[in-house]
Amino acid sequence: MGIKTNSEKFFSVVRSRSVVKPGLKLWIWLSKANILGWFLLLIGGVMMVFPFIWMISTSFKPAPETVAFPPTILPKQWTWSNYLDAFNRIDIPRLYLNTAFITIVRLIITLYTSLLLGYVFAKFQFWGRNVLFIIILATMIIPFEVYMIPLYVMMVDFKLGNTYMALALPTLFSAYCIFMVRQFMYSIPSELVDAARIDGAGEFTIFHQIVIPLAQPVMVTLGAFLFMWNWHDFLWPLIILTDSTKYVFSVGLATFLGENLNSYGVLMAGSTLATLPILIVFLTLQKYVIGGIALSGMK
Amino acid sequence: MQASNRLRSIFRVKGLRKAELNFILITIIPAVIFYAVLRYYPLATSFYMSLHDWQLMRDHQFFIGLKNYFTILSDRTFLRAIQNTVLFAFTTSIITTILGLLVAITMNPIRRGGSVVRLIYFLPNITAGVGIFVVWRWLYHPQIGFFNQILRLIGEQRINFLGSPQWALKSIIIMAVWGAVGYYAIILVAALRNIPAMYYEAAIVDGGNGFQIARYITIPLISPVLTFVFITSLIGSFNVFMPVYILTRGGPLDSTQVIAYQIYVYAFQRLWMGMASAMAFVLFVMVMTLTVVQLRLRKSDEESLA
Repeated sequence: MGIKTNSEKFFSVVRSRSVVKPGLKLWIWLSKANILGWFLLLIGGVMMVFPFIWMISTSFKPAPETVAFPPTILPKQWTWSNYLDAFNRIDIPRLYLNTAFITIVRLIITLYTSLLLGYVFAKFQFWGRNVLFIIILATMIIPFEVYMIPLYVMMVDFKLGNTYMALALPTLFSAYCIFMVRQFMYSIPSELVDAARIDGAGEFTIFHQIVIPLAQPVMVTLGAFLFMWNWHDFLWPLIILTDSTKYVFSVGLATFLGENLNSYGVLMAGSTLATLPILIVFLTLQKYVIGGIALSGMK
Repeated sequence: MQASNRLRSIFRVKGLRKAELNFILITIIPAVIFYAVLRYYPLATSFYMSLHDWQLMRDHQFFIGLKNYFTILSDRTFLRAIQNTVLFAFTTSIITTILGLLVAITMNPIRRGGSVVRLIYFLPNITAGVGIFVVWRWLYHPQIGFFNQILRLIGEQRINFLGSPQWALKSIIIMAVWGAVGYYAIILVAALRNIPAMYYEAAIVDGGNGFQIARYITIPLISPVLTFVFITSLIGSFNVFMPVYILTRGGPLDSTQVIAYQIYVYAFQRLWMGMASAMAFVLFVMVMTLTVVQLRLRKSDEESLA
């Protein structure tokens, strides 16, 4: 990040002028010291983080303290009882295992198909390529609610209701990920692929041993996205899974909420446990996630 | 064998070797099947179902033409759902865009600690799922929720956030904005950093002040991205489901009834799939219209730049 930002360039220009209007001077000072900026960001930041603090704090409070007035931000008395309760009343290990299993299976498959198709669309010329690409991209604008009913009927007709197969099938490919991989693939020199081809490597060997290792950055970004989307996925599992032993975390928690509207200590423990994996993944890979988001606004 | 040879001859482009051709076919065919069977076929079926009195677990379905559409478009609850969806989507997107821009402008100059700030603002977006919506339900609790505890602390009347028709939708909007602002702020920061410094230099030479610079340089130059943010948010908000399902289930008095939730109720609780499909198609037309508007705007943007 050796490049100056625009505002830095801007201020270096301003500083080189001898006569500056007083109003501008104040604005520059405020912006430079960033006191106003930091102050606003601090207030906003507290609002952003507060629900998490409240969630974790409530989950460690004994029941009387959760309803106490005035509210305490941090528990006066820390207790694990909400977590013990949550483990007793919700089958947390099973929810974790189910969600982790289905999330990771879907992630790996989608990532693989996206890399494959992104690579093919970027690096090969063939009849109908652009039309096909647009047909695939166009599916991004169809809201899931529009095709979920026939999808559900189809799954039931194929006797796939209440199976992980049905849960995973509709997301084996992702138009968004294919698009992102394709954009990335343009930055890989075709010469690398051609050289391997001249050496007599097969197409799949080239893909697995040359293209995939080069695609690490986009894989990490999309992998993080896919993990989050799959972990949060709610509507489709809610419809397709009927057996509580197959529930994923989101559906399990929502069902528990439906039955225990007011056990907020336990609910907060459940919410904390449901959010924890996402937090860990995000904090580990934040650089890639935020970089990926910033890219999506560019044309 | 004959067929596969013919297929190859159709796809053959000059200089493509047999191995490459095989590779393309092996990778493309599963994708074509996937998108045909699991996207376009259900989409068409959805429309087909919407023309029938279609109920699950019945052998014969009755064709009834557009009757489902007439029924739902004169159903008071569904009309309310349309109204709420539009209100939710527009309000959320307008507030999110404005707040996102403000956050981006304040966030942009920060160099040291910038990544921590972005991290904090992005946290709500990344974690927004059932768990966090349950937390908001608890924050909004009519008696002992945190917001009402604060109101009591400063001596104000309690507000039944999720239980009163005046407040329920607003409460969901507040939560949605909380979840979205950081995401769009990051996109806008990237856009702000793309503005060439020479524009600012020119403005300073001409004696522009801070406000004028924001008004005549920053905002016009990032307006394509602002439009992108607004419409993306709008399209995303049109199929709001999870917040409504967790927080209010459409109540009280249908004040948070939205299209996606109505589709869910009709299709999977009442099992009237024909009517639910008609609702889904109404949603589809609305989202399609917005998408076409976005594509048009983007096109005219590109033309005005060229």
